[in-house]
Amino acid sequence: MNVALTPPRGAAAAAKGPGAAREPVLRIVNGNKIYGGVHAIEDVSFDLFPGEVHALVGENGAGKSTLCKAIAGAIQLTSGDFQVDGKPARFESPRDALAAGICMVYQETSLVPTMTAAQNIELGNEKLITRFRTLNIQAQQLLQSLNFHVDPATPIGMLGTAKRQMVEIARAVYNNARIIIFDEPTASLTPEEIVHFFNLVRDLRARGVAIIYISHALEESLQVSDRITVLRDGKLVITADTADMTREKLVRFMIGRDISQTHYSHRAGHAERRRERRGKVLTVENVTMGTTVKNMSFSIYAGEVVGIAGLIGSGRTEIAKIIFGALKRNLIDGGTIRLHGRPVRYNVPKQAINDGIAYITEDRKLNGFFETMVVDDNVYIGKLATRAGWRFLLSMATRGKLANYWVDRLKIGTLQRKAKIVELSGGNQQKVVIAKSLVQDPRIIIFDEPTRGVDVGTIPEIHAQIRALADEGKAVVVISSYLPEVLSISDRILVARMGRIVAEFDAADATEDKIMYAAIH
Amino acid sequence: MTWQIMPGLLVPDTRTQPFAPGGRRMSASANSAPPRLRGQVAKSAAFKPSQEQIVLLITLLLLVVFSVALPGFSSIANLLNLMRSISILGILSLGMGLIVISRGIDLSEVAIMAGSWSVALIEIQKGMPVFWAASIAVGIAVAIGLANGAMVAFIEAPALFVTLAAGFVIYGVAFWFAPAWVVYGPKDAPGLLFLGAGHIFGIPVPILVFAAAAVLMHLFLSRTSTGRFIYSQGDNPESARMAGIALRPLIVLEYVIVALVAWLAGLVWIGTTGSMQMAITQGTMVFDVILVVVLGGISLVGGRGGVFSVVVGCALIGTLLNAFTIMDINSEVQNIIRGVVLLAAIILDNWLHPRDEETARQGD
Repeated sequence: MNVALTPPRGAAAAAKGPGAAREPVLRIVNGNKIYGGVHAIEDVSFDLFPGEVHALVGENGAGKSTLCKAIAGAIQLTSGDFQVDGKPARFESPRDALAAGICMVYQETSLVPTMTAAQNIELGNEKLITRFRTLNIQAQQLLQSLNFHVDPATPIGMLGTAKRQMVEIARAVYNNARIIIFDEPTASLTPEEIVHFFNLVRDLRARGVAIIYISHALEESLQVSDRITVLRDGKLVITADTADMTREKLVRFMIGRDISQTHYSHRAGHAERRRERRGKVLTVENVTMGTTVKNMSFSIYAGEVVGIAGLIGSGRTEIAKIIFGALKRNLIDGGTIRLHGRPVRYNVPKQAINDGIAYITEDRKLNGFFETMVVDDNVYIGKLATRAGWRFLLSMATRGKLANYWVDRLKIGTLQRKAKIVELSGGNQQKVVIAKSLVQDPRIIIFDEPTRGVDVGTIPEIHAQIRALADEGKAVVVISSYLPEVLSISDRILVARMGRIVAEFDAADATEDKIMYAAIH
Repeated sequence: MTWQIMPGLLVPDTRTQPFAPGGRRMSASANSAPPRLRGQVAKSAAFKPSQEQIVLLITLLLLVVFSVALPGFSSIANLLNLMRSISILGILSLGMGLIVISRGIDLSEVAIMAGSWSVALIEIQKGMPVFWAASIAVGIAVAIGLANGAMVAFIEAPALFVTLAAGFVIYGVAFWFAPAWVVYGPKDAPGLLFLGAGHIFGIPVPILVFAAAAVLMHLFLSRTSTGRFIYSQGDNPESARMAGIALRPLIVLEYVIVALVAWLAGLVWIGTTGSMQMAITQGTMVFDVILVVVLGGISLVGGRGGVFSVVVGCALIGTLLNAFTIMDINSEVQNIIRGVVLLAAIILDNWLHPRDEETARQGD
């Protein structure tokens, strides 16, 4: 690969791979960050060598983000030694960190959507007079040298996530970054893009750039990193060479207990545990909506868990919302949806809820709960919003009873009853969102990414709840982008691709490869 | 090769809000909230007073200062006057408070008050019995409320512009009916004038009306399901919709309630001054109402605050305005001061609820 740029600082001293003796480019000793009396990170020591990919793993609340924000200058450590190239350093703002060669690529990329790629690369370094031609040519050279196929004159708003990441990386390289921190970089990438991304990481590493890689995908971290650090509850658990680590060990370090029967191993016993499928409750016939859903057809039965797999953008969330009434299918030739044989058309979710349909949203922060309210209120509102459960005057007794029942049944962390829902962990929030829907006594429940942003310990609890619902005779649909989850939890698997259902598998016959083959376009 | 890995995490906003519905005060702990830690709850560090407490303190301070510095401020006559003017402002603010909690706004509230009652008074002058005229005023108010609500809920036009335009239309139409800047009410209609001019046990009725309205509004917002739905709508309208709350009828109801509250305020107004002035629709009164609401702690973001916020904000603004009148400050200076106070309220709000990187959503 041709490198037409000046190599990053320190490249001369960089080794080509791990194991060579060299100076750490970054070192934190006994770092602490305290927020209001509570430690976000406590006595964490961390070091980073040039040309190394260092993965950082841990559950929600473990402190990974805090540590990286401190490194990138977005926040300051309360105490501890912070050394860059062996000399103590203090960053008051991300600008200082950038000047020292440290750049963070955020999960939600921090680019300006209305500006072009070239302008974004230049962001922060603009000259007094900008000559667009020079700017674009410069950017073009940079992008080509990195083997990125991005047109520098495109506004960011028109680029997909993968290309946006490329622009961010190009910007980091342009700023001569010696340390790049990636925060969940592959969350919204397709598999091919992930492969390409790993190649990028390897290229950066070959140039002597040190990389910190935060990811919840343990397999990825194991694949691409040289060393792994595990954080738990703000403390350092272990830093080890990746070669010595396995997924099971990582999980054990992350949660501190053994998940002996991992949540994804249920498939083994699937054949014996096979549920009986009861009657057909819902049929979707040739439903069409705009360009995202095209002639989708499938059926849902009571007492069964149907998993819907597929890439992001294949129309799964859209069809779920159409069934729920949050979106409307085309008025003309939009197809039919039948509930127990009767054609239905919902204009608002309220109507669907009254007919016994529940939908657990994939983005709970956006439209899942009420952030200023406590757990009890969130659950109670779910009840009040039903025809049967509504009463004009609030009843604190009912509220308390309902809350206690659901906290108990879903095992929502009791330490946090008085806290506003925003303060709960992702797993507990998800449980509250589920409780808010289940309290409406639905007969059909659609889960959209039920374990997204949920910590490893809570995932099996949510899965158990899903299975219990099907055992009770409800019709359950689980939309998930994580194949092991789809495989372990479903009785039947549908695969969506570009707005259609293209394949249907019985759980016993399905494999990851078959599903992926059907899902890819 | 692993396939579509679990998408990244979303960390919700850790802003905590100091205001529970109904105005129960809790100390703010926004700046001291740590990023979520599993199993741990944010603890507040230093004591951070709630906005309502700060405003209350300032009001008490001002009352003391003005009684000492301004001759005539603490005379009974003036205090009664103060209470009367607070009442009308307060009643209007109760309505505005409700609509702001739901994340809406109603810039036509004062116009509804003036417009509906101007028409009624003209009819009374022409000989209509008071009761029917008052009912016509109710009808006009409700009709405007329905229209505002329908436009915001069904046509989904932004509330700010809908109500702004509605205000102008009301002014125009009412002026056409009652082509006078000031419409005089009947001199001797005890039923009509009682609410504004009467006394019960020596307490001017307006303040009792305000108190009763405040209590009713408080009970409505904090003890009924509709009140809860209004808060949820203000917190997150999309969540409310997905939870099964019928948003559109709720929105229409909210605008009708505001209109009725405006009607009530008009009734008290007529009692106190014996007339209804169309001029106020062109003035800054509606901004005084919004100032009360925002200053008292009901954030324009929605979902926060309660009746206590309104009462406290009203006390402060009422006191200030009363002092201005005594000091005979001219209106330009008054406007400057109003603007400064509003700015101070917004800055205070920002200090209490800081939005910075630590509260922004990023992976953990």
